[in-house]
Amino acid sequence: MPAYVPEPESAGGRHQGMLAIIVLILALATSYLPEIAQQRIAFGLHRTVLRPFIATQERLVTARFRASQVEGLQEQVDSFTAVTSTHGMLLDENRTLRELLDLGARVGPSFLPATVIRPGTPGSESMFLVELGSTDGIKVGAPVLSLYGLVGVIREVREGISVGMDWTHPDFRVSAMLADGTTYGMVEVRRGSFREDDRLILNGTAYHESAPAGTVVLTSGLGVIPRGIPIGKIDGVEEEQGGWRKSYWLRPMVEPGSVTHILVATHDSGSDVTDRWVADSLLTRDEAITGRVP
Amino acid sequence: MRTSTRVWLLVLVLFVLHFFLHVGLGFESGAPDMLTVALLLSAREIGMGRAAGVGLCFGLIEDALSVLAFGANTVAMTVIGVLGAGTRDLFVGDSLIFLVSYFVLGKWLGDLVRWVMVGEDLRQPFVDQVMVQGLVGGLYAAAVGIALMAITGLWRETPA
Repeated sequence: MPAYVPEPESAGGRHQGMLAIIVLILALATSYLPEIAQQRIAFGLHRTVLRPFIATQERLVTARFRASQVEGLQEQVDSFTAVTSTHGMLLDENRTLRELLDLGARVGPSFLPATVIRPGTPGSESMFLVELGSTDGIKVGAPVLSLYGLVGVIREVREGISVGMDWTHPDFRVSAMLADGTTYGMVEVRRGSFREDDRLILNGTAYHESAPAGTVVLTSGLGVIPRGIPIGKIDGVEEEQGGWRKSYWLRPMVEPGSVTHILVATHDSGSDVTDRWVADSLLTRDEAITGRVP
Repeated sequence: MRTSTRVWLLVLVLFVLHFFLHVGLGFESGAPDMLTVALLLSAREIGMGRAAGVGLCFGLIEDALSVLAFGANTVAMTVIGVLGAGTRDLFVGDSLIFLVSYFVLGKWLGDLVRWVMVGEDLRQPFVDQVMVQGLVGGLYAAAVGIALMAITGLWRETPA
């Protein structure tokens, strides 16, 4: 601080005192100004001297608000990620249900829709539960269908629930024929070294009759299963036996592991459903999804 | 640089810093009352009339931010300006004790005048606002003021 210098009594000192009194009176007067005048002064100071500071606070508040929004947005992004991660599964289920609706409309009310329940316990491979039973008109041996063809058959029927087996079960057998009805045989499973290696074969066909690759194989209608349900497509000769019998590899219409929703035939579902499968639906599931027909 | 120039530069910096901390960053009582410190510093440099003028300006700017008690800060700051300038004629030197007392009493007196001017409806209890907050604020202002004077060399210039 500056050194003390005694001020001489002068007109300047008196002038300063007068000025201080005037300013004090002015300061006191501000309290008694009309409210509108006070607001004008405040507004004028807001627009001039205080403007940069108020603007800083506005920016700071905006930045804080945005920072808090970032957390909210992050939560939304997380939620969307969670939703979209299950979106693919929902789409697939939606497509399956639409397909089943389409097939249901085609085959009529005698085929009942159901959801496949896989027990997932050891020893229950190739088996599934269906919440339809004898009260719904389901019989043992009733075919289980998807849009693309035969999934399996019902093996046990109880009052409100049935047990089915898909075509990978060692006991699965179904009488079959080529789509043109020229060759008959029995479709069964040929077990592979491991489960994924299991394949369908058309067995017991006459040696002199040939089945070109890609020919559709349908159920023949012998037994409980109606005639005309697609099972698979010929995929080459599996075995020729003694010049009197041939068997063929089949490319299955349905991969049982991908089936979630099905139709089950009731006792009054008719004996021939060939006309219910139009030509464009005689594709395996893989062909329909990839769009490539070998 | 001349002492008066340095003081005015410091006053300007304190003015900007005060509003930046209180209004810009919204620190409220977390930041010291640098406007009072600036006024007390400048009051020792100029005459009573000018100090009252500076106090009037500072007070008006602070009052622009108070909605219900317009004029309270104006009167308080003007009084501080007048009395601060008056200490030039009453007290000699700038020892540490004097400076601490000067800043503490200056700030405390400002709070007292403000408390009186605000009116009964708006004022807080006297003990809380004047005796506690006023004295704590005064010590805070004294610490900041003396530190600034030491940093800028205004204090060492004229040892007591």
